[in-house]
Amino acid sequence: MARGEIELSKLTKEFADVTAVDAIDLQVPAGEFFSLLGPSGCGKTTTLRMIAGFEQPTSGQILLDGTDVAYTPPHQRNVNTVFQNYALFPHLNVYDNIAFGLKRAKRPKAEIRERVGKALELVQLSGYDRRKSSQLSGGQQQRVALARALVLNPAVLLLDEPLGALDAKLRKTLQIELKSLQQEVGITFLYVTHDQEEALTMSDRLAVMNGGHIEQVGAPQDVYEDPETLFVADFLGVSNLMAARIVSTATSACKVAVDGYELETRGTELDVTGEAKIVIRPERLELEAHGSPPGQNRVPGMIERVVYVGSTIQVIVRAATGESLQALVQNTGAGIPWEQGTPVQLHLPVDALRVLPSGIGDAPSLKGEEQVEEGAAAS
Amino acid sequence: MTTVAESRPSEGFSTWSRVRGWLRNPWGKPRFLVLITWAYILWSIVPVLIAVQFSFNATRSRTVWDSFSWRWYWGDPVDSVWHDPTLRHALVQSFKLAGADVLIAVPIGVLLALGLARWRGRGSGVSNFIMLFPLVTPEIVMGVSLLLVFSELFTFIHTGTVAQILGHVTFSISFVVVIVRGRLFSIGRQYEEAAADLGASPFVALTRVLLPLLTPAIVASAAVVFAISADDFVISQWLSEGGPTDTVPIRIYSATRAAPLPSVNAIATIMMVSTLLIVTIGFLTWRFFTRGERRAGKAAEDIGGAFNLT
Repeated sequence: MARGEIELSKLTKEFADVTAVDAIDLQVPAGEFFSLLGPSGCGKTTTLRMIAGFEQPTSGQILLDGTDVAYTPPHQRNVNTVFQNYALFPHLNVYDNIAFGLKRAKRPKAEIRERVGKALELVQLSGYDRRKSSQLSGGQQQRVALARALVLNPAVLLLDEPLGALDAKLRKTLQIELKSLQQEVGITFLYVTHDQEEALTMSDRLAVMNGGHIEQVGAPQDVYEDPETLFVADFLGVSNLMAARIVSTATSACKVAVDGYELETRGTELDVTGEAKIVIRPERLELEAHGSPPGQNRVPGMIERVVYVGSTIQVIVRAATGESLQALVQNTGAGIPWEQGTPVQLHLPVDALRVLPSGIGDAPSLKGEEQVEEGAAAS
Repeated sequence: MTTVAESRPSEGFSTWSRVRGWLRNPWGKPRFLVLITWAYILWSIVPVLIAVQFSFNATRSRTVWDSFSWRWYWGDPVDSVWHDPTLRHALVQSFKLAGADVLIAVPIGVLLALGLARWRGRGSGVSNFIMLFPLVTPEIVMGVSLLLVFSELFTFIHTGTVAQILGHVTFSISFVVVIVRGRLFSIGRQYEEAAADLGASPFVALTRVLLPLLTPAIVASAAVVFAISADDFVISQWLSEGGPTDTVPIRIYSATRAAPLPSVNAIATIMMVSTLLIVTIGFLTWRFFTRGERRAGKAAEDIGGAFNLT
C-alpha cells in the first residue's frame, strides 16, 4: 500500500499575535511511524491539527499522496485522529462510537457490523461493544479511540499525545502495542508527543520541533547520538554541555580547547569557529580511578555527589575544567563504587564528544530551515 | 473516671461559653452558617406554606384556620377555581403562554447560542453582551417599550395572547442562550472536531453529536423558561387586553386588592405545584442524560457551567 505519504511545504500558521508554525517543510513517506517531538508550545499540535483540517494554514501546502488538502474541510480528508483526551462521544456506546464514521460513509449494515467487530478485535476489546465510554478505564478508552479511527482505513493516522493521560506503566505497554499495531496495519502514523522516550522508542523517524521550527529530522538513533543543535542535545535526554574554543574542525575529527585541556571530538559538517559547545551523554562519560595512566581526552575531576537511581547510579563529577558533569554507571550490584570527594580521572571518548555551535538552540530562527532541508535530504 | 473528669479545667464553664465553643469548633461543621441557612429557609418558606395551607380552608377566611377541604379548588359551586370562569381562564391563559413560550424561545435560543458560541472575531463580544441585556433590563421598561411597539409600530398585532407570547419570548430567549452557551463551553469543541474527523459534515455533527450532548441544557432551559413565563406579571399585564387574556399573577393581584377568598391561594398553589413539577422533570432529565459524564464533583461544575454568564 503506497498511500499515506505526507509532504508539508512552507506550512505556516499565524494566530493573532504568535506564529505557531513557521514555514516548515517535512516529508513523511507512506507507512512510516513518524513523531513530532517538542516542548509544549513548539507548534507540533498545531501542525497536526492543520493536517487533520481543524486549523486552516495561513500559507503553505499539505500534500497527502500528492494532492494539496490544505483547504479541504476535515470531514473530506482521508486522515483520522486519535485525540489527546480521546473525545469519545459520551452519548454513544463503544459500538456506536466505532461505527460512527462508517455510518457517515453510508456503508451497508452488515459491513459495518463486520468491520467494527474486526476493529474491536484489533484493539483487544471484543465483547465491550455495549459499554458506555464512561464505564471504560483510561487505557480502554484509548483503544476505542484508536479503533474508531482505524476502522475507516485512513491513509494517515494522526495521534495527538494519545498516551499523555495514562500512568507510566500502562504507557509503556501501550507504546509497544501501538508500534506493533502500526506495523500490522501498515499505514502512516504521525505521532505528536513531548515525551522524548516515547518518541525514541516508537518512531521510525522523528522531527524535533522548537518555537515553530523543525530543529532536526532523523532516525531516533541519529537524533539522539548526533544532535545538530544545542536544543536537540538538551531536549533529548540529559546532556553535559561544556563551553569550548574551536582549535580546528574537519569532517573526520575536531580539536577544541576547554579551559586549558585540549580535547579531540568527532568530526562535524557544521561550520563552527571560535566559541562553541561540546556535548557528551552521561552514559558515555567514563570514570577511571585516580592515577590511571593519562592519555587522550582525559581530565581530572572529583566526585561531587553519588545518587542511587536503581538500574543505574548517577555520579556528579566536578571536572578540573570547572564544569559539573553527570555520569551514569550501570548498577552491577557491587554497591556504590565511588565516595563523595574521591579524586578520579574522566575519560571523554572521542566518538562520544560532539561539537555544536553555541546559541543555535536559543535562536533557531536563522538555522531552522537549513536543517529541515538537510534532514529531509538525508532521509 | 469521675476524678479525672473533675480535674479537667474545662469543667464547669457557663452554658454561654459552651454554646460559643460549639459554634466555633474549627474541626466541626460550619454550624453558624448552618444556622443562618436554616433561618433563611424558614423565613422564605413558611409564609408560602401558610398560604398553601389556607387554600384548603373550609371557611371563607384566609387567616383563621377551620378544617381541611377541597372547597376552593372545586367544591364551591361559584367561587372555586374550577367554577369561577375568570380564575379558570387565567389558569388556561398562563399555561398557554408558558407552553408557547417554551416552544418558540427554546429553539431560537439554542440556535442563537450555537451561533454566538462559535462566532469568533469582530462583533462577537458585543453581541454576546447584548444577549444579556434582557436579563438586566427592568421588566417594566421592556413592557412599556413592547406596548409602544405593538401600539405604534406593528399595529397589526393587537394586545392580547399573541402580543403576550411575543413579549415572553423576547425576554426568555436570553435565559436559553445563557444556559445553552454555558453547556457549549463546558463540552468544548472536541466532540465536533471528532465528528468532523470521522467524516460528519457540519450539519450531521450538529444533529448527531452536538444536539444530543446539549439535551440536558435544552431541557433545563425549557424548565426555566416555563417557570419564568408562568411567574411573569409585568409584561403579561402590559400586553393583556383584559378578560380572558389576564394570567394567574394578574388575577391574583387584582383579586387580592378586592375581596380575596382562599380560591386565590388555591390558584397560586396550583401554579406553584405545576411549576415545581416542570422544573423537577427538567432536573431529572438533566440528571438522566448526564449520568455517564458525572463523576465526583463534576455535577456541580456542570450546573455552574450551565449558568456561566461570561
